[in-house]
Amino acid sequence: MALAVYFSRCSGAFDGVIDIERALAGIEESAAVVRVVDDFFEPAVVDRMIKDVANAEIDAVVLAGHSHEHYTRSLSAHALQDRLEAAGVNPNRIVAANVLEQVGLAHPDDSEGATRKAAAIVKVAAMRATMAPEIAGVHIEPRHAVMILGITVEAVVAAQRLLRLGYSVILADRLDGGSRAGRANQMRATSGYVIGHPNAQVIDDARLVDGEGWLGDYSITLESPQGRSSYRVGGLLLARPDHTEWVDELRTHFKVDVDDDGFARSIDPFTHPAETVDPGIMVVPIRRADALERDKVAAADSAALALVLRLEQESVMHYQDVSAVDESLCGGCATCVRTCAFGACSIGDDGMSHVDIRRCRGCGKCVVSCPVGARDIVSAPHDYLLAAVRELATVEAEGDKVLGFLCGGCGYPAADSAAQAVAQRNEGYPASFMPLRIPCGGRLDTLYVLEAFKVGFDGVCVYRCREGHCHNLIGNLDMDRRINLLRAVLRSRGMDDARLRIVDISPFEGERFIESIEGVYATLGTLTNGRGGAQ
Amino acid sequence: MSKPTLATIALSGCEGCHVSLLDSHEGLLDVLALVDLVHSPFSGEAEIPSQVDVVMVEGAIANEEDRRRAEAARKAATIVVAVGSCAVLGGIGGLRNLSRLSDVKKAAFGADSKSSRLPVLEDRVRPVSDVILVDMSVPGCAPETGQIVEALLAAVNNTPYNPPRRNLCDECHREKRAMLEHSQEFVSDGVFALMELETIDPVICLLEQGVLCMGPMTREGCGAKCTAANVPCRGCAGPSRLEFEQGGKTIDALAAVLPAGALMYMEDLIGTGYRFSLPVSVFPTIFDHEGGDDV
Repeated sequence: MALAVYFSRCSGAFDGVIDIERALAGIEESAAVVRVVDDFFEPAVVDRMIKDVANAEIDAVVLAGHSHEHYTRSLSAHALQDRLEAAGVNPNRIVAANVLEQVGLAHPDDSEGATRKAAAIVKVAAMRATMAPEIAGVHIEPRHAVMILGITVEAVVAAQRLLRLGYSVILADRLDGGSRAGRANQMRATSGYVIGHPNAQVIDDARLVDGEGWLGDYSITLESPQGRSSYRVGGLLLARPDHTEWVDELRTHFKVDVDDDGFARSIDPFTHPAETVDPGIMVVPIRRADALERDKVAAADSAALALVLRLEQESVMHYQDVSAVDESLCGGCATCVRTCAFGACSIGDDGMSHVDIRRCRGCGKCVVSCPVGARDIVSAPHDYLLAAVRELATVEAEGDKVLGFLCGGCGYPAADSAAQAVAQRNEGYPASFMPLRIPCGGRLDTLYVLEAFKVGFDGVCVYRCREGHCHNLIGNLDMDRRINLLRAVLRSRGMDDARLRIVDISPFEGERFIESIEGVYATLGTLTNGRGGAQ
Repeated sequence: MSKPTLATIALSGCEGCHVSLLDSHEGLLDVLALVDLVHSPFSGEAEIPSQVDVVMVEGAIANEEDRRRAEAARKAATIVVAVGSCAVLGGIGGLRNLSRLSDVKKAAFGADSKSSRLPVLEDRVRPVSDVILVDMSVPGCAPETGQIVEALLAAVNNTPYNPPRRNLCDECHREKRAMLEHSQEFVSDGVFALMELETIDPVICLLEQGVLCMGPMTREGCGAKCTAANVPCRGCAGPSRLEFEQGGKTIDALAAVLPAGALMYMEDLIGTGYRFSLPVSVFPTIFDHEGGDDV
């Protein structure tokens, strides 16, 4: 396995905090290429990386700099990933080491602590890049068909755009045609084009009762007074993200983020107003009550264009994040079936667990619930998470050490937001707090928490999405149940359960993230028993 | 050519694994046709010979005498086979690790017992593999006769021994119904002790009836005799993967299946999840034995 490590100075954002030379000292022996650059996304730097991949036959790349989150949003980060992939690096082996938001900007007043922590975070990313198996994908040709949920002005405008491009459109509304007539008057010309178009179909009084699939090929079942019908479409547009019934029905089958009102949320209201965490599902941005017609049209255009950009691709790659079941271990106990919120797991005629990959959202709950470890999540494998816990425990620190398991949906972005809060307060939080990203709270195995205490952490913080906000429906709830049971076990063994803390958090709550850390350190200072590590 | 030699020893435990071996009845003659049994608890000799091809070790390391005998066995043997959950996982006697040694002594021997005949107890119970290198492991309490014979013959013939690794549900004949349904509800409203239930359906999965069965968290190989007899699995064979904590995985596996509150308060979580494997759990290393100099 040939590893390349690139360390970005992020244009000097943490100069004087992280000693980059020292932070890289521990990785130099195991990496074929180590380079420090000003910024990853400069074309010349990308070219240099691609040359390295060819010359040194690189299989795994660590990008130490920006947050993992950056790679889901930034177009230049997408382009970098695409080029590395095209050069032959498996996407599961391109790993971000977040030394910017979660180290450099988090501990501006503790250069020593930040440097040690950066070294550990780079090592952990290198473990992920080299230990994780290659992720396998299937190519599909996107369908030129779109389902629009909620018939609004924006829905009709977007439908018109799509129809003109030759797409077929299914418009589904919760109301019957009669009560919609009043609204349609506002947009008679456009609706005249859409309603009655040979490629358009209107389903009134509809409910979404089943859904599966992914960008380019979804299968959606609607129920209406006319009965149940299934439709195959390439993408979905939620024209009423504020209609919580549509949102809840979608969320039962797909990953959809919601805000505090239960409305569907895009990944970033400023830079990506239409895109959601599911790349084939778009939302029309929620408009203000006093929105002008032209705002509505602009919103419809942006959503339609976002869909078209995805569906016009010749082929879309889908990666399968859940591994095949290990037949030497699976006894068909069905705990995975009962745990999966998306109905993706089942026990086949062979008595083994199977996953319907079109329904699987990669949350990892089945992996945790599997008592024999017969299955794994390819992007967050068991062996890597255990090794990462052990590695993070080796970081030298004075006083207590705390491990934070950061759910990718809440705790991890909240830790990124904390960088801003640190700048405002002009004071960092303790650098001996070690972050470890997991895809969902539901991926947190009690074995990782136990391992953390075993290898010397004095406290463990587990971050979970607020009630009703989990991408994976109930990953947060299952994590709660597990960790609260584990706390009961800790108590019964005479260990103070304050050492294991569950924190509810939203992605933008950086201040709360810092408060949670300060809170746990304050409590740990008062505890004497159950200190981590072998006695 | 002389036959390979076999010795068996029993450390802290109940000698049930030896009884299981004897349960092979006349089948034992087939084993004895292949090996020379040079030492066993039934042979009258106190110590094993200085050189033996295969030593079967039953029981856990609970006192200094166990440790000395395990070390002697390792020195003498080419292959050491740990048999039974005490030897492999620490076993049920390992529940002693829940208490401080001084309290254990007080409870067992009275406040001022000063016997010089009893072996000196170690601070906690350990599996044999904590003390010596073990070449093969056969967990179970007790392992099936056939499993022990198969492992010993594999050791004698120097062939690989591949114990079954799936969980017990693979062997259990009970039917799963609610467990196979996609639902976010628990399969049962509560968790019930056997005596609380007026009837237990002999056909349906015990978990679905609200009975905490350790089958999913437990390695197969016993033939699921307990569940066939309307008794939930107690987890005696330990986890399918020895590196997994059986108690931790009990929480992981059942949190979405049975009500967590009931699991916590109506059942004895340590005595359920860790009944046979407490000595190999992480807990001893994080449990602060206050004033632990009383060994």
